[in-house]
Amino acid sequence: MSIEYRVSSFEEYRGGRREASKLKTQNSKLVRKKDIGSVLHQWSKDYTIFVPCNEGDTAFTVHGSRLTVYGLWDGSDINLDWYRNTVTPPKANFLPPLEEMFRFQKGKEGHSMELPFEPGVWSLESGVPLPQLIFGIRPCDARALSLLDLIFTDAYQDPYYLPRREGAVLVGLVCLNPYDSCFCTSLGIGPGESDDVDLLLTDIGDEFLIEEISDKGKRLMELTAGLKDATEDDTARANEAKEKAYGRVTRKINTEGIKDRLLSAFEDEHYWEKVAAKCIACGICTFLCPTCYCFDISDEMVKKQGARFRCWDSCAFALYTKMPMENPREEKWQRVRQKVCHKFEFYPMTFDVIACTGCGRCIRLCPVNWDITQTLRLLD
Amino acid sequence: MNSDHKMQQKLRHEAKALLEQDKVDLIIGFEAGSLKFTTTPLITKSKDDLDRLVINPFIVNNLALFLPDFKGRIAVASKGCDSRSIVSLIQDNKVSRDDLVIIGIPCPGMIELRKVEKLTGKDRDELDDIIREGDKVVITVDGKGSEFPIAEVLSDNCLACEFPTPQDYDILLGEPTATSQESRVKSRESRVKGQGSRVQSHGEGGGLQSEASPDSRLQTLKAMSPQQRWEFWRKEFSRCIRCYACRNICPSCFCKRCFVEESEPRWLMPMPRWQENLMFQAIRNIHLAGRCTDCGGCERSCPVNIPLRCLTKEMYDLVDELFHFKAGMDKDAPPLMTHYEQEEAEDLIR
Ligand code: SF4
Ligand code: SF4
Ligand code: SF4
Ligand code: SF4
Repeated sequence: MSIEYRVSSFEEYRGGRREASKLKTQNSKLVRKKDIGSVLHQWSKDYTIFVPCNEGDTAFTVHGSRLTVYGLWDGSDINLDWYRNTVTPPKANFLPPLEEMFRFQKGKEGHSMELPFEPGVWSLESGVPLPQLIFGIRPCDARALSLLDLIFTDAYQDPYYLPRREGAVLVGLVCLNPYDSCFCTSLGIGPGESDDVDLLLTDIGDEFLIEEISDKGKRLMELTAGLKDATEDDTARANEAKEKAYGRVTRKINTEGIKDRLLSAFEDEHYWEKVAAKCIACGICTFLCPTCYCFDISDEMVKKQGARFRCWDSCAFALYTKMPMENPREEKWQRVRQKVCHKFEFYPMTFDVIACTGCGRCIRLCPVNWDITQTLRLLD
Repeated sequence: MNSDHKMQQKLRHEAKALLEQDKVDLIIGFEAGSLKFTTTPLITKSKDDLDRLVINPFIVNNLALFLPDFKGRIAVASKGCDSRSIVSLIQDNKVSRDDLVIIGIPCPGMIELRKVEKLTGKDRDELDDIIREGDKVVITVDGKGSEFPIAEVLSDNCLACEFPTPQDYDILLGEPTATSQESRVKSRESRVKGQGSRVQSHGEGGGLQSEASPDSRLQTLKAMSPQQRWEFWRKEFSRCIRCYACRNICPSCFCKRCFVEESEPRWLMPMPRWQENLMFQAIRNIHLAGRCTDCGGCERSCPVNIPLRCLTKEMYDLVDELFHFKAGMDKDAPPLMTHYEQEEAEDLIR
């Protein structure tokens, strides 16, 4: 007997969305790099703008090396020549590491409940208004958001994630300098993928070529002054840059029949023990994975007032599955198996798509260089 | 001067012999990582894997970490700090010395990639090569090599290391590393003199030299007012995502159930708020008093670059000052926090 897990498929889901929003003919504009500040300034009237920033560059972070995150745009000119990708994925802008869900209090007439603010408004402390515009998002991370959409719309409509997501504009930036840990081209996308963004920028020297990808992107462009029309020559240069970038992604995995191979390896305890041996079971590769979405819910109550929070959780932790009587994933190898299978077996079973975009964060940020591509290669 | 290559040959040879003569069941060492200039732990029972063992300036993980995970007799490659962590685990009854074969690596210090990245303005994967030559390092970018004093790229904890040669071993892969005493004296001096003082060159012998003291960050912090310091840590710990990599990479954090995982009673909420994040780290540090060997693992692992060594090193120094105790030096000594000596009171209660 075969079990049908599938709820809805990624392609069907997106097919509809794409048809509605994708432009038939693509139109391209040009903006000089030094004018980006003025473009962002125009956009900032309607959007809260996030840009890649370099945080943690103090004498104290030993090393003073880069710590790239999305930060609120401070209104100044920006130069992204140094930028490759962020440590914290943009999922944090939609599913923040911590958010307050509602507040409650105990009064004479029983309990009452209130929302801290409109659900989905950006953050706990500052309540940054929606909608947001993410400038410079990488194609892999934009794909990851499309994957998260399935989770937060399929079984239920998440009232925190979706409002943040619906109005958001994603301005993508083609990766001309992928990391050695990137393997996006094995997952049906690549450094120049435009499917999941509203506008796509390509660095062609002193200028960015801007492609209008979605209706939302087109409307934004119509309201933007100070852009030139791109010539065929500009487009050709951008295409050439994309192609070159595609070739620079050299890490590969074989996704052919991956879910069946994982299914047959599922019971192979020996295999999983071996690959899990050096993993330290920390939360880095799940917290910072752009497609991982697990969260934990806690209540906090002081005297008669309290609040319910949700924050990121990770299947790498034994506590994640701990129940009063037992823990089905007490052993580290079971948790490592869960992580791999969730992305490459269970997600494909449910949505017909792999929940990994090849962004490489889990490889380059792992303290012991546990490499998911090596684990998968062992199954080839 | 020990060459990494010579030590590596010897390591492979010794490890093979140990497995062949059935002296151990498991070998723990390092192999080349999947990314440039990285290594990854190699944990194996198979002779065939042993030619993958490496020794190079990037074998940063503290392998003592894995010992409590495995049963049976284990041979483990061990740098100075790793060996102290092993001894500390023996003191805490987490592993038994009889089950271990410690293969000692007289350690010349580890290269901190984030320092290299800062120095060159490039990411790790954009570098062509990093080659250590004695007390120099040659870094090649875009085909062009530049030479720097090795001290500019060694980890802070390596620059401050008092005992680069393993404290306890069965096999030593080379001559003991010189300079441990001197580096200790110098780092003490620089602590006394305050920020900006210089550690002098130690002359020949591949000594560890540094322009700025490896503890200059700590001194800067100490020079701040309590309010400034509070503000500083508030900012740093606002970034913490509570991934617990700092705890999980640490051999001394061996508790099966960490206090943060207790839900009844709940000592600490799981939410990554700066107050809780700081509290987590403060309690972790207290639990590590007399156990932390300053291996640098926690700070190196933190994905958001929180300067954790500013806390752990301060605790390390305090333990030394108040109790005249250094972690992992004597496997027969009781763990610091489990015993009491009469004269301690004078120093401690002020
Ligand atoms: S794979 Fe690496 S990052 Fe992930 S849990 Fe294991 S040690 Fe942590
Ligand atoms: S599994 Fe790793 S490579 Fe894949 S999306 Fe997550 S972090 Fe990126
Ligand atoms: S490694 Fe860094 S981010 Fe992770 S819990 Fe420790 S301090 Fe926080
Ligand atoms: S606290 Fe940090 S420096 Fe100290 S032993 Fe643990 S990992 Fe190493």
